[in-house]
Amino acid sequence: MKAVLEVKNLKMYYDTQAGQVKAADNISFSLYEGESMGLVGESGCGKTSVSMSIMRLLPENARIISGNIFFGGKDIVKISNEDMNKVRWAGISMIFQAAMNSLNPVYRVGDQIIEAITTHEPNVTFEEARQRVASLYKLVGLDPERMDNYPHEYSGGMKQRAVIAMSLACNPKLIIADEPTTALDVIVQDTILRELEKIQKKLNMSMIYISHDIAVIAEVASKIAIMYAGKIVEMSDSITIFKRPAHPYTVGLMSSFPSIRGPKKELVTIPGEPPNLLNAPDHCRFAPRCPFATDECWKKEPSYEEIENNHFVACFHPQNLKKQVRNNVG
Amino acid sequence: MSGEIVLKVENLSKFFPMKKSVFSRAKHFLHAVDNLNFQIEKGKVLSLVGESGCGKTTTGKTILKLYEPTGGKITFLGKDVTHLHEAEDKRWFHSKTQMIFQDPFESLNPRKTIFDIVAEPMNIQNFGTLKKRELMVMDILKRVGISPPDAFLWRYPHELSGGQRQRVAIARALVMKPEFVVADEPTSMLDVSIRTQVMKLMMELIKEMNMSFLYITHDLAVARYMADEISVMYLGRMVEYADSEELINNPLHPYTKALISAVPVPDPEFKRKSVEIKGGIGKPIDPLPRCRFYDRCPFAMEICNQKEPELVDVGQNHKVACFLYKKDGDTVA
Repeated sequence: MKAVLEVKNLKMYYDTQAGQVKAADNISFSLYEGESMGLVGESGCGKTSVSMSIMRLLPENARIISGNIFFGGKDIVKISNEDMNKVRWAGISMIFQAAMNSLNPVYRVGDQIIEAITTHEPNVTFEEARQRVASLYKLVGLDPERMDNYPHEYSGGMKQRAVIAMSLACNPKLIIADEPTTALDVIVQDTILRELEKIQKKLNMSMIYISHDIAVIAEVASKIAIMYAGKIVEMSDSITIFKRPAHPYTVGLMSSFPSIRGPKKELVTIPGEPPNLLNAPDHCRFAPRCPFATDECWKKEPSYEEIENNHFVACFHPQNLKKQVRNNVG
Repeated sequence: MSGEIVLKVENLSKFFPMKKSVFSRAKHFLHAVDNLNFQIEKGKVLSLVGESGCGKTTTGKTILKLYEPTGGKITFLGKDVTHLHEAEDKRWFHSKTQMIFQDPFESLNPRKTIFDIVAEPMNIQNFGTLKKRELMVMDILKRVGISPPDAFLWRYPHELSGGQRQRVAIARALVMKPEFVVADEPTSMLDVSIRTQVMKLMMELIKEMNMSFLYITHDLAVARYMADEISVMYLGRMVEYADSEELINNPLHPYTKALISAVPVPDPEFKRKSVEIKGGIGKPIDPLPRCRFYDRCPFAMEICNQKEPELVDVGQNHKVACFLYKKDGDTVA
């Protein structure tokens, strides 16, 4: 399989008056064609910073310090802004957080999508673009007759569908969905997620879902990366992550999540709070909250290693491993 | 059913006029809360669950008299509190009830110190001396896990994290040891690991102080963990009411079934079967006298269009408002 996106040792820091904030630190992952990946973590852990680095939509005080992002074989960290404009939307598009606010209230919804098409593909005529929008509307489950309505005439779920249609407008290879359903009610969330999954399979696109909700990610992603304090602490296929989480943070996250299935289990809490990324410590960032922390964890940062086939963890004391693997490691 | 009943709500309604002009009277009304009946015993937690716009927050605010009810009766500790006119009655009622809000970034005054925020209920109630207030504030802060409390007393909300702020908001609500608390989505703005901490803290405090809680949430999984009983609301009406585990494991109303089947499960191997329901949630403006779920219900029948179903007891404290069910628990063919 071909990698659509390859992120290598990406470091993105914010310069603030108080010092450097290491929002994304040594992020590496690759995404294959037709694969959907979930990026999970709490607020402030750097999920959105990673996606904004990929889109190169960074605020002025943010800098990509080092690392590469290969998209279609090209390193998009190094290309010019004009070239990047061509990659955006046509190559990588994005469904933003709070999508309902990302539509312009004074333009018709259909026209906003047409604008996206004609900007990136100048050869397309207005009529052709309109037809494409109509077929996109059908794809996402909207009535094409609603194209000429304004955003305020749409419900929350419909706006979300329109934004999804817009992200599909230029046939991108990769879509980054940043909390695509967070503001929606459960029933609407359910239909939107199913729709997205269907479209992704049908068009064989790659997706990155960003969410704080591991239940949502469990449903849509085949591969999961868990982020904590600016780092990916664990990554594997979703079954491994849920059945045999190795990083203590992942273990804690899994058991602190209330579920409505199965018997009522006691919820386990992770004590403390995530660290401030301003002048981040050089020991393991989870050590202050970790029940398994030893002296080693307070001395240096654990490296990010493959502990078993396709299962990457950054921890000195990985949990839940098969015995022989544990012997190999330790 | 035993134990002292702290709060009893009978036929509670709250309508909002849709358009007001100076010269004409409102013609259309939004039926935000329509004919609600429930009661909460001492030390128990009832959770109101529903989608946004179903009237759960309005219910909480109406009970606490932040809105004046349109109709119905609210009885609190055996006293009719539907309309409070005397200052003394108001003072008594508000000293025994409290509210915890959803967003700890908005519910705390940024210009006040933590001490001022937590001590405010005591100031309003003219309770104790300054020394006594300070001790009580320290005490409750320690209890909600803000430690050491004296290091936080003179700080401002912006110096605190989201989880700490919500702890302060809880401390403010509980400092006067209320009998009854309305908590409106108190954990929905918090991160997963912090959310569990705050949920656990509230459960401990409820037990310790033997309080009654009305816990408003959109998340059925959270309601299952927090509440003894769950009530599901749809467009201002209560459609189902049961003990938490019973409601989660044996939902009866088609809406509750759809709601439960739509909750994502944190298990990639589990494949959910969703109940398909049509369309989206509307607004209960001058609703027709029929079942409010009629338009979306996959089982809609002739009778559902003709009159509104009442809540019927199908046994084991399980009530449902749907014509598919009769009193004895049998399904109507």
